[in-house]
Amino acid sequence: MGKVFDPSLILEFIPTLIKYLGVTLEILAVSILFGVLIGISAAIPKLFNIPILKQIVTVYISFIRGTPIIIQLFLVYYGLPALLSLIYIDITRMDAFFFVIITYSISNGAIFAEIFRGAINAVEFGQTEAAYSIGMTPFYNFTRIVFPQAIRVAFPNIANTVIGSLKDTSLAFTIGIMDMMGRGETLIASSAHALEVYIALSVIYYVVVLILEKGFRVFEKYTNRYQGIDTSVA
Amino acid sequence: MGIDIGFIWVAFKEIAKAIPLTLVLAIVPIIIGFFIGLAVTLIREYKVKGLYVIANGYVSFFRGTPAIMHIMLIYFGIPLLLDSIFASLHIPFQTSSIPIIVFVLFALSLTAGAYLSEIIRSGISSVTKGQMEAAHSIGMSTYQAMKRILFPQALAKSIPNLTNISVGFLHLTSIAFLVSQKELTGTANIVASSNLKFLEAFIAAGIIYWGLSIIIEGISHLIEKRVKEYSKGGVT
Repeated sequence: MGKVFDPSLILEFIPTLIKYLGVTLEILAVSILFGVLIGISAAIPKLFNIPILKQIVTVYISFIRGTPIIIQLFLVYYGLPALLSLIYIDITRMDAFFFVIITYSISNGAIFAEIFRGAINAVEFGQTEAAYSIGMTPFYNFTRIVFPQAIRVAFPNIANTVIGSLKDTSLAFTIGIMDMMGRGETLIASSAHALEVYIALSVIYYVVVLILEKGFRVFEKYTNRYQGIDTSVA
Repeated sequence: MGIDIGFIWVAFKEIAKAIPLTLVLAIVPIIIGFFIGLAVTLIREYKVKGLYVIANGYVSFFRGTPAIMHIMLIYFGIPLLLDSIFASLHIPFQTSSIPIIVFVLFALSLTAGAYLSEIIRSGISSVTKGQMEAAHSIGMSTYQAMKRILFPQALAKSIPNLTNISVGFLHLTSIAFLVSQKELTGTANIVASSNLKFLEAFIAAGIIYWGLSIIIEGISHLIEKRVKEYSKGGVT
């Protein structure tokens, strides 16, 4: 046994852990992508007031926002195989990675649905009317008038969701994923230096978040390019 | 592999016993965090020398890392630190005698402080400067103006954010089970593994969390209605 706390181990652990950053970012990227798709489909029934579908979407969003991600992970991990076994599909041997992707996509989808709905409602209806009055089709109205304005409102929230989701991926190891956190747990088991591992992990997460924040700020400026000097409103 | 519907109710009753601990884990950090957040906001607002840099670093770091890290860093770090201090001072005190929940509460309070400081700050900046000037012009001291004019308005404007953070912290308590706390998720895990009925137990836990979240949202909706009574319509 070496020292109880050895700071040099932190530097030693960082390169080992960073190799698994790819898995963490992969979970993040894929679940954000599917989350956006789910979010768009879930926002439509609420925007266009489609009966029945609207109620289903409301319950879905309420449930996701009302339960912790760790419970959602367990529910998908144990529930999906049970559900699919009813129609004789056996997925009990499926890689835990897919369960993680499914859970985080569903979870992000609910949050994105709310963001999209709020952003599109934030664009005044007069804009749509004006677009129609000069002869634009609904498609052009959406892609040229509503969407560019909505994305400006939605973007800060989307950025927050992405960063929140990155932090949430640190819980995926509870169902046995070998991401950065999972690798950290095995490092702790083999080296018995828990504190150093967690410091190393914190440093990596913090740096990734800082980089993401910087990138988002640049893009946010771009979405606000027609807003003149005062970009603090809305 | 079917689902035992009846067991969900059995698990529900068992897991519901953990609600008080979960609420303690959620509410205590928010209350302590509120004061930390207030102090941090004042430090940042008035740019107190030295402390300003620390406060900025604190908020940035705690918002930039997952909450599980805060719990783990404090759970493993503080005992090491305290033990070495006690050993050098020859105080016969073992940190292993401190219950784990103290570390969890401490870690979550620091997390809450960082998030709440941002909420308080945005609440304060949403109150226009003219309000403070008006308060000063009728002879209020800065302290009076803050207490009577600034904070009530800032708090009213922060209610939606405070609701979000309350629900968020209710959900954050679920990771305390990773350091073997018997709160909702921890109890659900015990019930699940002792009966080998994982899905049923987590469905029950999910329903409890969902119910608690809806109750929190309902309460905050009522408070918001009351607080905003005076600002209905007219000019703002």
